[in-house]
Parts: sequence; structure tokens; C-alpha cells
Amino acid sequence: MATLEVKDLHVAVTDDETKKQKEILTGVNLEMHSGEIHAIMGPNGTGKSTLSQTIMGQPGYEVTQGDILLDGTSILDMPVDERARRGLFLAMQYPAEIQGVTNAEFLRAAINARRAKDDQISVMDFIKKLDKNLKLLDMSESMTERYLNEGFSGGEKKRNEILQLLMIEPTFAILDEIDSGLDIDALKVVAKGVNSMRGDNFGSLIITHYQRLLNYIVPDTVHVMMGGRIVKTGGPDLAKQLEKEGYAGLRDELGLDIKLVDDEN
Amino acid sequence: MDKTAAKEQLTAAATAHGEPAALVARRQAAFDHFAASRMPKMARFNFSDWDLFAKQPALTFTESTATPDLPEIKEEAIRLVQVGQTTVDVHLPKTWADQGVKLMDLFAALDQFPDLVADQLMAIVKPDENKLTAYHLAYLNSGVFLYVPKGVQVDQPVEVDLVQDSTVADREFNAHLLIVTEPGSSVSVLQHTTTLGTAANRASLMVEIDARRGSHVNFSSLDELGDQTLTYFKRRANIGRDAKVEWAVGLMNGGDTVGDMDSELTGEGGEGDSKLIAVTTGDQHVGINNRVTHHGQHTTGNINQRGVLLGKSHLVFNGIGEIIHGAHDANAEQQNRVLMMSPDCRGDANPILLIDENDVIAGHAASVGPVNPVQMNYLMSRGIPRPVAEHMVIRGFLSSVIAAIPAKRVREELIAILERKLTDGNL
Repeated sequence: MATLEVKDLHVAVTDDETKKQKEILTGVNLEMHSGEIHAIMGPNGTGKSTLSQTIMGQPGYEVTQGDILLDGTSILDMPVDERARRGLFLAMQYPAEIQGVTNAEFLRAAINARRAKDDQISVMDFIKKLDKNLKLLDMSESMTERYLNEGFSGGEKKRNEILQLLMIEPTFAILDEIDSGLDIDALKVVAKGVNSMRGDNFGSLIITHYQRLLNYIVPDTVHVMMGGRIVKTGGPDLAKQLEKEGYAGLRDELGLDIKLVDDEN
Repeated sequence: MDKTAAKEQLTAAATAHGEPAALVARRQAAFDHFAASRMPKMARFNFSDWDLFAKQPALTFTESTATPDLPEIKEEAIRLVQVGQTTVDVHLPKTWADQGVKLMDLFAALDQFPDLVADQLMAIVKPDENKLTAYHLAYLNSGVFLYVPKGVQVDQPVEVDLVQDSTVADREFNAHLLIVTEPGSSVSVLQHTTTLGTAANRASLMVEIDARRGSHVNFSSLDELGDQTLTYFKRRANIGRDAKVEWAVGLMNGGDTVGDMDSELTGEGGEGDSKLIAVTTGDQHVGINNRVTHHGQHTTGNINQRGVLLGKSHLVFNGIGEIIHGAHDANAEQQNRVLMMSPDCRGDANPILLIDENDVIAGHAASVGPVNPVQMNYLMSRGIPRPVAEHMVIRGFLSSVIAAIPAKRVREELIAILERKLTDGNL
């Protein structure tokens, strides 16, 4: 069983124009194990994306306090590619487009990066795995020979992120607002993909605004983030409660002094 | 230079070579122009001090004894191989020869088919254009002639392998590929230039294509001359009415190189597509002018140049789209892009549009910079290590030109050279 731990994590970003540092995460604590699906919900601007980007090691996020541990080892000093090879995966909101690199070529390179030099995936095994996953995600075979994300629609890009997830088979997948901009059919396909990964060797951290996605990917644990930290943790019912009462309701119930970005006053 | 002695040597050598009096006279006139004129200039690239000819030049024809490893070819393949001044292999299946296709040594062609060759040689690139074009004709010592008669569609690529013999020093390599395609014909040519040996030598390489009415030429070149070779090249197509010439050049030379690509759209409705990629390494200097000139109405020109710079190298791409007065409804597009892979390299991408007509379409794009960090980060976030990700992004960046080369074998060869350069190129 693998473990991902976030301990008292404080993260700041620097404003490009004013050069002023602003603290976004103010002490996040989270522990999850493979075999579990966790959801993080929270209002806009509360630091959910900052948390996922920081776990993955994306540039521009400075950890000012705390630690992130994968199976007990701190990963803070590791570059993004090493974190990925150790089993982390972040499905992006805005994946890059790369002309001249086919989807298939990219997927093979990503799979092989996690395997030893003398144990690279064979063409036959790769194609078999690819075919199986394309089918599962209702994607056309032609997607694999297209250039990576180039000219893909929003929905195609999201599906392509999930295809990567299924091909790479990470230990922990962070899905950052994978539901945004998806119609209900695409949402179901994405959920089907993620659910197919469920098992003892896979954990996922799902970041979302809305409860709807969680009807299709039922989480074991739901965390609510406000003001840069996790303020409440519960079971799937917590998401349903939020859907009814809204974040302001929960804030007031917890007696928190946090201004929500979308507050009217 | 002792001009009198040089001209006497030139005359004697050309005569001893058994050349017709008219050619000897043209060489003499070219020599006079060479001796009197100045070096050509290129925007933002100075090569005025390059030793592109000897202090006391001499016309020499030397039988090469060096033998390259020639890959086996299929029965139906069309191929000519020259090592230095020696034609070592000509393979033209009977079916094409019977239809009048000619693929042969240039001097043999001058001898056997003077009507086809004599007036055509350096009619598109004029010897009196500049010092280096004059030098080329005066000291021309090897060449290839390809002729495709009216209406003949050659469906096998014509492979032309030019091997510079640098197994010994002081071997001049002044080679000329002359291609004439008659109306309605089509052909695809794969040129491969390489160097055998490591001696420091010069190369003056030219390609002239006369694409006559409605003919179609696809010309790709994989240039892989040695580290010790100093190269001047000029490749020009005259593109007649409704004719089309597509260039795809992979410039992978190891040594300093300066060159011109020219597409002259002389006929109405002609089309020129000029793609070129270059990878520069070490302390190499490379300067390229890629020009499309629209003379005819309704002509289409496209330039796409992509360069990758490593080490301390210097690469200049000038894209020149010129629309002459009267070329109504011309369309001139171009892009010139370079990727800088090291802080010490110097790259330049200059779009130059010269437009003297109103109802035309013209567009350009240029970029100079490092690999896109967003792309790099995306690949790395999937576990791909930085060097592998870099190669992928670079190959993607060059792909539009690589994909234009019709032969898979050549594409793979080009990618292999590219990978090698990317691995060793910062030295």
C-alpha cells in the first residue's frame, strides 16, 4: 500500500506584476492511501488547484512551510518528471499542444520512462493496451496518430488526459477539475475511465467545484477546503450536504471567518 | 592570384578534359568575371573572409579510388552515385531509358546530348551573378544531368548520391546537378551529399531545375557534408506556367555553410514550396537565404524554415518573398523559426517581403527562442526525462519539413542524424 501525505503545507505564489508574495495554502493536512478515492471540494480561489500543482511539482509554487511525502519520503526537492516516475499523475485543466509529436509516440515515451532500459514495452503490448483503453473511453483510433492535443476540442483533451491515466497507470492520480466544460456524456466516459482504475494499487484525489462528478466517481472521503486549508472531512454525504447548503452554509456552521471570493458583500 | 597563369591552367585543363570549345570559352568568360568581381553579400551574415576558393585556383579532374559503401538497391530503383569526379554507379531501369529519361554524368551528357545540355547549363543560375557563381562554372569538375521528357511520370524516386572525396587534401568539389523536366512530366529527386575522409576541403554545390510548363518536381536533399568541409551552395528552380517545385532540405552539414534557395515563379499559376531545416552544432556558422520570387500572375510561394542551434553555433535564416510588379493575385507566405538550445548560440530569423504589386496576399511569421517551457513541462509531468522531452519537442518542431520528404528511409536517416547531433552537438 502506497501513502501520500501532505503535512502542514503552506504555499505562496509571487504576483508577476507586483512581485509580491501571496500565501495561498495556509496549512493543509491530508493523508491518503492507494485503494482510496478522495475528493476535495471548495469554493473558487481557495487553493484547490494550488494544492494539486504543488503536489505534482509544477513551477511557480513556493512551499514556505510543511512537507509532501510519498511513502514516507519527501518529494519537495524532486523535479516534476521524477515525481511522475515515482507514481504521481496530474490530469491537467489546460494540457499543452505539441505539434509534430503524435499521441501514440508520447504515450509510449511516458510508459517507457517508468520502465527499465532493458524492459521497454513491446509494440504489440502497447497497441493492445492502447486499443483496450481507446475502446473504454469511446475514442477513435485516429486520435493516437494525431499530434498531441493539437486542434483537440475541450472534451477531446479531457478524454486524452484520462487515456494517459489509463496507459501510464500511476499510483496516485490528481484530477484537477476534470469535469469542467464536459457535457454529461463525456463526463460519464471520464468517470468510467477513472472507475476502471479503481483497485488496491490506485488512489485518486479528485478536485471539483460540483458534487455532480461524485455521483459517477463515488469517493471514500470528501474534504472541504476554504481559505487555503482543509476545514472539514467526511464521507460521500458531505458532498451532498454541500450541494444543498452551499459553502457559505458550511462556513457559518463551522464559525469560520473566511471571505468567499464570490460573496456579494 | 596570378591571373594569367590561372587562366592558362584553366584553358589547358578544360581542353585536355575534351570539352567542346564553347564550354571552354564560357569557362574563360566566367573566370574573367570571377577574377574581377566581389564576394556576394547576405543580410545579417558575413562570410566575406571565408576561403571559398583557393588563392591560386586550378581546374582539376581526379579519378577517385575511394569507394563508399553503396547500399544494395532494388531492380526498379533509379540511382546515380558520384565520388568526387568519378561516377561509380548509374542505375536507370530500361523502362525509363526507353521513355527517354536520362540520368548521367554531366560531362558525358554534354558530349552525348549537347542540344539538351549545353545551353541549359547555368542558364538559370547565371555565372556572372557574383564571384562564387562565376567560380563555380569556371572550375566546375563534376556534375549530374537528369532529363524527364514530355508527359513522363517517373514514379520511382531518383536518388543522386554525391560523395565528396576528402580522403586527401586539396580536392576541389565543384558539383552541379542539372534537372530539366519537360511539360507535363513529374519526378521526385532525393539528393544525398556526404563526405568521405576528414581532410579540410571546399565544396561548391549547385542545383538548377528547369520545371517547364505543368511539370512537377519534388526535390529533397539530405546534406551531410563533413565537419571539415566549407560549403557554398546555390539551388534554383525556374518554375514555368502551372509547374510546381517542392523543396525539402535537411541541412545537416558539419562545417560552415552558406547557401541560397531560389524559386523563380516565372510562369502564370506556378507554385514553389521551399522547406528547409538546419541543425547547427559546436562553433558552426550557417547562413541561408531562402527566396521565392513571383514574376507570373496567380503564383503561389511558400517558405518554411526551421532551425535548431546548439553549442556556440550561429544560424541565420533570411526568408525573402518578392512579388514583381505585374504578378497579380500572387500569394507569398513564409515562416522562419529557430530554437536556441544553448545560451551561447546566436540565431536570427528574418522575414523579408518585397512587394511591388497591390492585389496580392503575403504573410510571414518568425520566432527565435528556447524550447517552449509549457510543452517541456507537460511532457516531463508524465515522467519523460528532460533530455528525452527536449528531443521530442525539437523533432516536433522540425516535423513539418521532415514529413515533406517522400522517402521513409531518408526521413529515418535524417532523424538518426538529428538525434546524434542533439546528443553530441553542444561540444
